[in-house]
Amino acid sequence: MIEAQSLVRRYGDFTAVDGISFAVGEGEIVGMLGPNGAGKTTTIRMITGFLPPTSGKVTVAGKDLFESPREARRQVGYLPENVALYNEMRVEEYLAYRARLEGLSRAETREAIGNAVDRCLLTEVRRQILGTLSKGYRQRVGLATAILHRPRVLVLDEPTVGLDPKQIIAIRELIRELGRERTLLLSTHILPEVELLCHRVMIIDRGRIVVEGTPESLRESWVGNPGLRVTLKGAPAEAAEALGQIEGVLEVRSLGEGLVVEHKAGTDVREEVFRAAVERGWVLLELARERATLEDVFVRLTTHDTAQESDSLAPQEEVTA
Amino acid sequence: MRAVWATYLRELRAYFVSPLAYVVMFFFLLVNGFVFAFLVNALSNPAAPAGPPMTFFFGGITLLLLLILGVVLTMRLVSEELRSGSIEVLMTAPVTEGQVIGGKYLAVLSFFLFLWLPTLIYAAIVERHSEVDWGPVAAGYFAVLLIGAFFLAIGIFASAMTSSQLASAMVTAVLLLLLLLLPLLGEVFTGEGLRQVLSYVDLNEHLQELSRGIVDTRRLVFYVSATLFFLFLASRALEDKKWR
Repeated sequence: MIEAQSLVRRYGDFTAVDGISFAVGEGEIVGMLGPNGAGKTTTIRMITGFLPPTSGKVTVAGKDLFESPREARRQVGYLPENVALYNEMRVEEYLAYRARLEGLSRAETREAIGNAVDRCLLTEVRRQILGTLSKGYRQRVGLATAILHRPRVLVLDEPTVGLDPKQIIAIRELIRELGRERTLLLSTHILPEVELLCHRVMIIDRGRIVVEGTPESLRESWVGNPGLRVTLKGAPAEAAEALGQIEGVLEVRSLGEGLVVEHKAGTDVREEVFRAAVERGWVLLELARERATLEDVFVRLTTHDTAQESDSLAPQEEVTA
Repeated sequence: MRAVWATYLRELRAYFVSPLAYVVMFFFLLVNGFVFAFLVNALSNPAAPAGPPMTFFFGGITLLLLLILGVVLTMRLVSEELRSGSIEVLMTAPVTEGQVIGGKYLAVLSFFLFLWLPTLIYAAIVERHSEVDWGPVAAGYFAVLLIGAFFLAIGIFASAMTSSQLASAMVTAVLLLLLLLLPLLGEVFTGEGLRQVLSYVDLNEHLQELSRGIVDTRRLVFYVSATLFFLFLASRALEDKKWR
């Protein structure tokens, strides 16, 4: 549905996006991750046709964005990072204006507004003036305008930024719902959001895609060896060495009050750890698998520390559960 | 066409809900009212120069009023969208820069004409007490339309160049002042060729000419093409925003 081919965008001497290519298939939900300033918004603006790329090509639903911009844009619903509304208008008036701008007829407009208001839970505020809406409602109005013309592709730039936790949950629910029938490209720097919503993730840094894949595959391939968190009462000094003897264990490090036991992928040493504890009479307070998160992948790939880059596949110092 | 119409309606509506429009309307009518009252007073003096009163109405400060309107009515038009960022959702809709500028321009032009509407009462008042030659009056209003349309096009061009309303207002004011002062060059340089060129852009003379009822197609061509030229520049300026 979306195809980007070697997109490059420069602002003067600064290269914001440096050769990004990707494709999003029909019905897929793809997340774009990256630290602030990585080039996410610039990439998104090129996909929605707001910014022309310095070089490269974008097609949406088979239409080239710069050869047939109007046909291509008609297929896209866009929620920008900063939802700017005309503050003097009422919700309904604004939606009607947007629908007409999208080229809907009068009858289609009425139906589209009814549908969008329902979907985005705007019924109570339909007559309200946009300037008086809370941030959460403004975001929903933005989403409503994005789905108004029933686009096949939705592009959302940081849809939950600046919302309170309750609103975030509501918006996420809505996004998941919308993603059922549409192709969705989502940019964010909030990691749990991606894990919750996306089929596929690309991590962008300094204008390039550094890695791409499903959230699970990224976790597996980028966060070293699996580990166990072991906490023993009284933290016996000989524990580290004893656990190191177990077959399959690669390294034992101490972390806080407990230990992290790294072992080979595909092996399960929990039973051995338990036995070792029983044999020596240690009291086992905690035995848990360390589950690497996307956050670890993200931090690893986007931290520009020379030491870390040189041994980027080595196990991490601290693995958060 | 639908996009132009949608933009037109939105912008026109925006004028009528903004306090600025009412302030402009108030002062505009106040000033025009004074001018008219002054004229009536002056012309009822037997020593006054002969001539139809409405001709005098389009003399004096009309150009100054047009300049102020050209600045104030247009400064918000595009700048505000650039500042707030609403331009982003606007330009990712299936519309062209030309349609957006066109819709906005037609809206400001309509509001401008709406402002002049009440001044027709003056002609009606004169009619009750003496004779009104409606030809020159119509030509006078036509001159206001032509010159106003030109000024507003310059204004929307300036507005499309910057996200600051203030900067937009300054640029428009400077451009319009230069335009109005251009004929003064004729006082400094005396070449016959230059004189002739300057008379093509002597707005005051055009206004006088038209309000006496002389409609010259050269003027018509000048204003219409100059207006279209600035509208074209405005849409290019908006397009150019993307590339930087």
